[in-house]
Amino acid sequence: MGKPVRALAVVAVAALGLAACGGGSDDDSSGSGGGKTLVIASELPLQGSSADASTDTNNMIKVYLDSIGNKAGDYTIQLKEYDNSTATAGQWDAATCTANAQKHVQAADEVAVMGAYNSGCSKLLAPVLNQDPKGPMLQVSHASTNTGLTKAADPGEPELYAPSGKKSFARVTTTDDVQGTAAADFASETLKVKKCYILNDNQTYGQGIAKAFEDRAKEVGIEVVANEPYDEKATNYTAMFEKIKATNPDCLYVGGIYDVNGGQLLKDKVSVLGDNETVKMMAPDGWTGYPELDKQKESEGLYATFTGLATAQLEEQGGAAAELLKAYEEEYGSAPRTNYALYGAAAVQVIVEAIEKSDGTKKGVRDAVFEGEGITVPAEESATGKEIVIDPATGDTTAKDVSVLIGKDGAQTFVQAQAVE
Amino acid sequence: MSTTTPTAPVVRPPAPKTSFLARFGWPLGFFAAGVLVFVFNQWILPETSTEFQNGFGSWLPMTAVNEALIWAIFALGLNIVVGYSGLLDLGYVAFWGIGGYVAGWLMAPFANQVHPSWANLSFSVWGNPLPGQERGIHINFWLVLIIAALVCAVAGVIIGAPTLRLKSDYLALVTLGFGEILPEVFRNGERVGPNGEWNITNGTKGIIGMDQIPTGPFQYIPGVPETIGTFDLNLKFIVFGLMLALAMFVSLRIREGRLGRAWLAIREDELAASMMGVPLMRIKLSAYAVGAAFGGIGGVLYATHIGGVLADRFNFSVSIILLAMVVLGGMGNVWGVTVGALLLAWINSTGLGQLGNVWNDVTGAEVNFASHNFLVFGAILVLFMLFRREGLIPEARTRQVLQEPERGEIESLGADMEGTAEDTAAEGGKK
Repeated sequence: MGKPVRALAVVAVAALGLAACGGGSDDDSSGSGGGKTLVIASELPLQGSSADASTDTNNMIKVYLDSIGNKAGDYTIQLKEYDNSTATAGQWDAATCTANAQKHVQAADEVAVMGAYNSGCSKLLAPVLNQDPKGPMLQVSHASTNTGLTKAADPGEPELYAPSGKKSFARVTTTDDVQGTAAADFASETLKVKKCYILNDNQTYGQGIAKAFEDRAKEVGIEVVANEPYDEKATNYTAMFEKIKATNPDCLYVGGIYDVNGGQLLKDKVSVLGDNETVKMMAPDGWTGYPELDKQKESEGLYATFTGLATAQLEEQGGAAAELLKAYEEEYGSAPRTNYALYGAAAVQVIVEAIEKSDGTKKGVRDAVFEGEGITVPAEESATGKEIVIDPATGDTTAKDVSVLIGKDGAQTFVQAQAVE
Repeated sequence: MSTTTPTAPVVRPPAPKTSFLARFGWPLGFFAAGVLVFVFNQWILPETSTEFQNGFGSWLPMTAVNEALIWAIFALGLNIVVGYSGLLDLGYVAFWGIGGYVAGWLMAPFANQVHPSWANLSFSVWGNPLPGQERGIHINFWLVLIIAALVCAVAGVIIGAPTLRLKSDYLALVTLGFGEILPEVFRNGERVGPNGEWNITNGTKGIIGMDQIPTGPFQYIPGVPETIGTFDLNLKFIVFGLMLALAMFVSLRIREGRLGRAWLAIREDELAASMMGVPLMRIKLSAYAVGAAFGGIGGVLYATHIGGVLADRFNFSVSIILLAMVVLGGMGNVWGVTVGALLLAWINSTGLGQLGNVWNDVTGAEVNFASHNFLVFGAILVLFMLFRREGLIPEARTRQVLQEPERGEIESLGADMEGTAEDTAAEGGKK
């Protein structure tokens, strides 16, 4: 019994040894001609439930970088993909986020980080990148919409994410509070509902957006029956909706993402409360861009808000976004599976713009965004079809348009833009 | 104990092997490895080329080393419950969480948010808050370690108490239950109490802004800063390493003492142990308490390692990986468990992905190895169960027990009692 094990061990050790010698050169610097090569890191969960969305986002960024010839001013740009998930967790992992943050700081040629996808991960990354001795190091997120990252929300925010006293976190999406507010405005002005029931998925994003909807709804005179979390592990929600039915609301708002058992929730909503014409149902951008959702027949008449323009709109509108989508389809054979893919490209646009204006150092790239007049990406170049202006004081984008979509014949189609003051 | 003092001279266990290597080989080996890692990362690595640094960083970054040390502390804690006392615990992650939240409450600005009336609370006991984060409670890191260990010990007793009447599978199920309940409490602890006024965990948003580790008198050594900041990974390595050494030392010393021998007795035969006068209740509870205390220390270290406490981290798979570390390393053997934990933690963080890259480079395949993590773990576990049931570096005692022919089997086969274990096993396999 002992011998085979020993043999196995020897083989294993040998394999390890070989691997250690052979590996270690996986990031080859291809910047031979032209100026210095600078690296932009993308920080996404590449395993678990968000894997597809993350892969497509990385691909879209590559398509964009190809379209500009991998150049920003004199510098050659390279994308380095970081994975902040573990298979064990099946989603982003706090320890991996922190470990990656350390790697970004240590990597001499990395000048900025694109990401993270999850607000929770951004909250861990931002303070570390901010304390970079050669920085602060710029971080531009395409999807971390949590309000506190840039604005006062919980006590101590947003200063908590900038311990050096200088900001370094920017983003190209609007925040949860803007979207929730817009949704409440739409509910009151257009749908003219009077009594809403709010459910949330009990996650950072879902709670934040549900709270924003609740606050605004009360201001504009909608009665809010309750704002409570639903159990993501429940096998059905019939009992919950029976209870909700007894309170007789004419609208249901769900703050959360479709991944969190949204299919079942929607099915049971329609079977108990009636179709989406009888009792209006609304959801945020966490319920957009899911082929399964569009296929579900209960999604007929479901209103969803989205920060910016939906992919179909961008294609019709033409311009940079449409070209990117076209190039993407040529390269990968299908449209990206997430609306955030274009936002990833938009975040990289901001970084590229900053690199052009900078001296190629971490500090220079950060200063290009947060000192002086900040970064502007004009509408005709922007991957989101709208002008992107990063406010140097906060790091937020000034574009606050929210579009409202409705589920119709197996697709989410554009209804109207909801302006936010 | 209420038993009368025996008049006969105390029977001591046979004196341990006295050869120098047998006694000090392992501790000196670990110490040397620690010194090597520190010296290499502190002085040699910065002098090497950028390419080598990047390559090395993708194989064995300092953050992964530090994280592995913390995993090892947890594994040693679980080893006391599972390895020493034989109480199968599937909910050990609960103590990781409790330790983490103790750190979140006592060394972060979060305490301001616990109740509206605490908004102006500012309390510090030699605390080291991050600049601009002086609100809330800031207790010195080293004190928090002690507090967390005590809190977790109490929690261990509370969780352990109702499980005492249960055995084997039933015990495992109840601990599994606790391991599921506590993370849910952490996730939902944002609005509790009357009117939902109390925010005890900040829900899924978690607690961010952990205090730094003060170096105390060591700051007078040139090159050592007053507090260990975000980027002083090598100094954190020393702190975590010291805590691991402490955990190993405590594990080893307790094992030799009365308590440790009582644990082993319970593990081997509970009925016999109680007949011999081992107070089952107290001994089992102390196993839970000591094991949980390690978890508390690890939880605080982990919170400072990642700079926050996030509820999503505390899921069931963590308990399972910890159990795998203990089993693979060699249940009951401190050295084995430590080696197993360091190894598995490395595989889980960077190892598997990197080995996968090498495999892909060599064979031209495009397999995402990291996402087959559990498949690989499962395969390793099965292989170990087939070929090396006692673990990587087994405890001498476990090896004896496992290699001893099982009596029932032998009797039913009518085999020769003198036959070697392997013969018997082979015959058992033929059935």
